[in-house]
Amino acid sequence: MGQSKRRIAKLLILLVVLVIISLTGLGCVSGLQPIGWSGGTVSGDTFFVGSKEGRLVAINVIDEGRQWSEAIKAPAQGGGFGCLPTAGAGCGTGSAGVAIYGTPVVADGLVYIGGYNGKVYAYNSVSLEVRWVYPREDYLEPIVGGLVAAGGKVCFGSSDGMVYALDAANGEKQWEFATGDKVWSTPSVDGSVLFVGSFDGKLYALNMADGSLKWEFTTEGSVAAAPLVDGDTVYIGSFDRHLYALDAATGAMKWKFMGENWFWARPAVYGNTVYAGCLDGKVYALNAANGGKLAEFDLGSPVSSSPVLSDGAIIFAAREGGIYRLNVSSNELGLLADIGEEVYGPISGHNGIVYIHTQDLSLNRVNANTGAVLMPISLAIKD
Amino acid sequence: MNPWELIIQQPVINILIVMSHYLADNFGLAIIALTIIVNVIILPLTLKQMRASKAMQELQPKIAELQKKYAKDKQKLAQEQMLLYKESGMSPAGCVLPMLVQMPVWIAVYQSVMLSLAVAPEGLLNLSRYLYPWPVVYSMLPLANDFLWLNLAKPDVFLAILVGATMWLQQKMATPMSADPRQAAQSRMMLWMMPLMFTLLAMSFPSGLALFWVTSSIARIVMQYYVSGWGGLAPMFARESSAGDRKYTRLISQSEDRSQDDVGADIVVSGEETAKGDRGSGYLPKPSSTRYQPGRDRARRRRKK
Repeated sequence: MGQSKRRIAKLLILLVVLVIISLTGLGCVSGLQPIGWSGGTVSGDTFFVGSKEGRLVAINVIDEGRQWSEAIKAPAQGGGFGCLPTAGAGCGTGSAGVAIYGTPVVADGLVYIGGYNGKVYAYNSVSLEVRWVYPREDYLEPIVGGLVAAGGKVCFGSSDGMVYALDAANGEKQWEFATGDKVWSTPSVDGSVLFVGSFDGKLYALNMADGSLKWEFTTEGSVAAAPLVDGDTVYIGSFDRHLYALDAATGAMKWKFMGENWFWARPAVYGNTVYAGCLDGKVYALNAANGGKLAEFDLGSPVSSSPVLSDGAIIFAAREGGIYRLNVSSNELGLLADIGEEVYGPISGHNGIVYIHTQDLSLNRVNANTGAVLMPISLAIKD
Repeated sequence: MNPWELIIQQPVINILIVMSHYLADNFGLAIIALTIIVNVIILPLTLKQMRASKAMQELQPKIAELQKKYAKDKQKLAQEQMLLYKESGMSPAGCVLPMLVQMPVWIAVYQSVMLSLAVAPEGLLNLSRYLYPWPVVYSMLPLANDFLWLNLAKPDVFLAILVGATMWLQQKMATPMSADPRQAAQSRMMLWMMPLMFTLLAMSFPSGLALFWVTSSIARIVMQYYVSGWGGLAPMFARESSAGDRKYTRLISQSEDRSQDDVGADIVVSGEETAKGDRGSGYLPKPSSTRYQPGRDRARRRRKK
């Protein structure tokens, strides 16, 4: 009988090992867990960023002192050892907090941030105490895009397909607008108009005052990119592999340019040239007037990170960690540094330093002129 | 991209997306269709494995007899077992090899389904690198996750239970109860452990994956029925239909009692009563093939040679 029990125990162990190997080991695929790719923003001497532990982190850029908010809480949901798309733990992420994708926004002494748990938080920019939360009860669908604050309102899109405008001071809802699919695009504001893309393939221009539709433009793919408004033109990238230039007043198309993969990142404009990073691993320099290709630069891996302007140059980050400096006057591209970590989210710049939030709970820093890599700042609360 | 991604994952993902497009933009239907297609492609391997397993099970009484006979001589037992396998024209590897070949295929389908679901934003971003330069592929993404009552990106309890139930059914069909109490205990454990584990997993994973498991199990149930009839389920059906047929019930219970009491003894089923069975009679073998008489079977085969 004892031998029989041993055989059964062996069989049981073999079974468990087999299932674990086939599902967790061989079968585990990346990208199942929301981890977050929040960019950073600087206000005064403080750099704000959403950490992969689900906290708003404030870093003093002078003495590198750090301050953390309370961790954002996930909605209570079941689940055991699988890969639930709610918070962030599992499948080798090493993270246990709510994922934060949007870059924090600072306005009037408050810092605003949206979480993958479907809530928007307003913190006191000095003490990091919560001022208000929207919605107070319950949760919206995951918030992936960033927020924009303008005219006393905070606007954002949600995976429930809605665009919301809240009172920036108290978080009361001012209006909402329904699109046809998820909204992962970070909205942009130009005067009294809010521009936002949706997975229904459209770019919407909404009146900031009441959320009414001004115009809409339909592309042939989903829109996850943030629109860029420059003068009377709005630029938007789509999953149909095109970058569009539209008339900001009417939504009429001026031109479109085709890449070899999705345009996910917000482009940048310098002078009469549009610089657009594409998931095909290239940065395209386009004539802003007619969309003609002036040059293309191969960065070797997808560009999903929005660039920053710095002293006559535009800094791009490629997925594999290469930080590139594109000289806009000579149209020459040079590798500034290789930080060796994956970069998904937008990079930011302040006082000649480029800040790159990587997938390893650290904030990397590179000198935008010399390429010198500075000591990374850990965003982990225990460090 | 590594060779596995380039040769296996990328084509499967693009096929899934294109299928989704042609199946009314329905990713759920695409998962079902792909699972069926893959099952059809590997059908020869699956049938080979099922037949080998069935043949192995049919040899169990003879093996049990040998184990009893050569309990104290392990070397002789091994020799006799090998001889038995040789004479019956099969090898234990015949069950395992086709299964090993199938495993990478199923892992590829599993991974492709999970990648295509693009549950998290990182997943969608990552998916872009697998896409072929076909306009239909780029414009389809992200795929719509709604199918019937399901959000394919989120777990579903009902579907998880269905995963366990279909897996149990398939395993039950594949493993008739052994006469050896130890083997019977192992079979019982296998019968419950795998379905339970997969049910728990399905409760945590996106239901798109559970849909793949359920479809796969149903496909295997159909194939198992083709190979061995109702197999281990036959007695259950027999009991259910026995309200007005006590004679049939007696036959089942007698044969079960006998097989538990007397390992390796003759199992004799009359042709008249066997004829009452349906395809499920695979569990109650035909008289000509089930009249096993120790020693005589092997001698007869030798004479034929």
